Amino acid sequence: MIENSVLISTSSTLDTMRRLLTQLLENREVDSVFALRETRQEGRYCYSLITDPSLVSEVLPFHPVMPVQGARALSNLTITEPFDRPVAALLRPCEIRAFVENVKQSQGSLENIFIISCTCPGVIPASRLLGEERDEVLRNPDENIRNACRACTEFIPGAQADMTVIIASDKPLDGAVIYLHSERAVETAEKFDSCTLEKGPPPTELTSELLEARGKALKELLRDIPAPGDGLRSLVSLFSACIGCRGCREACPLCSCVLCDYETARTAHSPELVRAEAKRKGSLRVPSGTLQFQLGRLMHISPICTSCGQCSDVCPVDIPVSDIFIRAANLVQESLNYFPGRDTDDTPPLATFVEKELLDITD
Amino acid sequence: MSNTESRKEINSILIDIVEKALGSGIIGSVMVPSRGPENSFPWTLISDVSALERAEPLPPVMSVHGAKALASFTQSPSDGRLLAVMRPCEARAAVELSKLEQINLDNIILLTMDCPGAVPLSEYGEDGTIEPDLHHPDTLRPLCRQCIEFTSKGDLCLAIHGGLSMVVPLTTRGDELLDSLGMKAESDTSAWKEWASGLGQEREITRTESTDNLQKAYNGLQGLIEAFSGCISCRSCRTVCPICYCRLCFIDMKDRRSPASEYLERSRNSGATRLMSDTLLFHIGRMAHMSLSCVSCGMCEDACPSDIPIGRLVSMVSDNTTELFDYNAGSNSEDPLPLNTFRLEELHEYED
Ligand code: SF4
Ligand code: SF4
Ligand code: SF4
Ligand code: SF4
Repeated sequence: MIENSVLISTSSTLDTMRRLLTQLLENREVDSVFALRETRQEGRYCYSLITDPSLVSEVLPFHPVMPVQGARALSNLTITEPFDRPVAALLRPCEIRAFVENVKQSQGSLENIFIISCTCPGVIPASRLLGEERDEVLRNPDENIRNACRACTEFIPGAQADMTVIIASDKPLDGAVIYLHSERAVETAEKFDSCTLEKGPPPTELTSELLEARGKALKELLRDIPAPGDGLRSLVSLFSACIGCRGCREACPLCSCVLCDYETARTAHSPELVRAEAKRKGSLRVPSGTLQFQLGRLMHISPICTSCGQCSDVCPVDIPVSDIFIRAANLVQESLNYFPGRDTDDTPPLATFVEKELLDITD
Repeated sequence: MSNTESRKEINSILIDIVEKALGSGIIGSVMVPSRGPENSFPWTLISDVSALERAEPLPPVMSVHGAKALASFTQSPSDGRLLAVMRPCEARAAVELSKLEQINLDNIILLTMDCPGAVPLSEYGEDGTIEPDLHHPDTLRPLCRQCIEFTSKGDLCLAIHGGLSMVVPLTTRGDELLDSLGMKAESDTSAWKEWASGLGQEREITRTESTDNLQKAYNGLQGLIEAFSGCISCRSCRTVCPICYCRLCFIDMKDRRSPASEYLERSRNSGATRLMSDTLLFHIGRMAHMSLSCVSCGMCEDACPSDIPIGRLVSMVSDNTTELFDYNAGSNSEDPLPLNTFRLEELHEYED
């Protein structure tokens, strides 16, 4: 591991990043770049796999949006086979962590992926960028980031990152500061002109105030949001407006089942059962299974949830899905002593998962 | 909005009917929306008259499509008679789903009403005070503003326009129910029909305008690519659609997965490729699957977190296909489905 080597450039981070990516492509150090771009429609973004260096000028490195969770897109790319040539992927810390979990569950491969990450300032909920106040919102990202980001204390990437671009920091930087964590990163930096290579303080020193603020917000979130352990009633009420769109599941980078357990014939309530239950109780919510789905997803995902907030972002009725998941994840992960995405070698708790084990946490 | 047209009034008439039918044992159970916590209106299957207290047969929003709720427990014929109170587009989808063998309508009576439309979920959520008002289209979801099938669906329809305030039977089943409730009233419905055709004409104009605008904004395949460029692949449009009932959608099948090399190949062709790359195939495939049965209910558009005019787009495509096959989704349970087969290969050329 390279200790705290830093690439410093006097030009802006955006400019430096684009030049760096162009160099990577032009020198054939990588074959393609995985990064965010704005689509032809203003205010709408997408991940792209870019091979033409001239298109790097369209890349928006770490623009504060997450149209799809990067891990989900990367998993899509690598689920049947790994990249056979290097690709530079710009990923946020929670996207890396989710992808590491994907890899553990054979949903993708890290092979040949050169990861460029950042100290993450958070992302803005997509809905806030669709309205007229878009420019205003983009001018004040800090006030508009997701709940999950506000309470995210894991905003510095882990060991899988080859480079960390300092985006969030306590004091404004002039120019670009990029930490180099691997031999490959150092080699790339050495070929990069108009920059200096130095030793810097550990990145944590640049973000200690931010960590404190995020920690405080996390505490508040954990205090305010009910968890499954707090009784079913509060959850029934929280999910009462759920329209069953399953967007939360589709958007989640960790929900990777081809057919969700709660869409199978095994868990489906038979027409006879539903009708009998309605008769017995006098009244029954239909379609049944709203809470069954949410609790089931909580059971499946809370051990590996990487707290990215994507589920809340897509919920059309503004249910604080990720707050609930973050609270549950906090409880479950602590008790299992498992930290999703930290290390590809940590065995996921679900590898040896018995459904009954978790019953005491679910109601 | 006149008094008889208010939701409160409509709801109280509907609840009266339901109460009578359930209380007298003419029907065994009823499916209606009820008021839940947090401004929610879940569907409820009720067999106990006292549970009707919370019933709100015509809620301001559509949270789950009624036909979808109905399909969740009626694939096999129900034992007792069931009355389902729903909006016209929900009754039409129920008829479509019965043709698709997802609902068995044998023991089911569909009661609809002159539909005022529904408030968009995103706007209602703010404080829960907006009322759907057909005289003020800006209170309504875009698909409701251009809805031309807003009345006279199902077995009976509560007519509240044209000076009426009565249930009009539309089928023999509806006739029989009214008979047994002793509610059969002879009345002149001509003013009501006039109202319907008047509003229908207005709505046709709105619909044509909306289609023109869409076609201008998103022309051809390139236009579709643009329309869906903001799609985040949450698939909510599919999940909430009453017509999309497959357990496993074609787009999620394992054999549709491509290797990394293929994505790279695509990227090399144009310099860059958008991810998730199956967005367009998904939408075109979905349109091909259900455009003949689309009832223009707008559920998909209401659920879309990316504000894509998905419902208007599908509905526009649907207008063209149904015209081609001279078919009208959900209007007549006797009309056979024009298509029973679909081949995925047909669409591969559209993939980007
Ligand atoms: S949760 Fe938010 S702040 Fe944390 S890494 Fe993800 S995007 Fe960044
Ligand atoms: S995204 Fe929201 S409305 Fe949709 S299923 Fe999840 S919690 Fe329910
Ligand atoms: S495609 Fe949209 S408008 Fe058409 S039936 Fe499905 S949900 Fe309704
Ligand atoms: S609901 Fe909207 S964003 Fe989601 S898949 Fe459908 S069109 Fe795309």
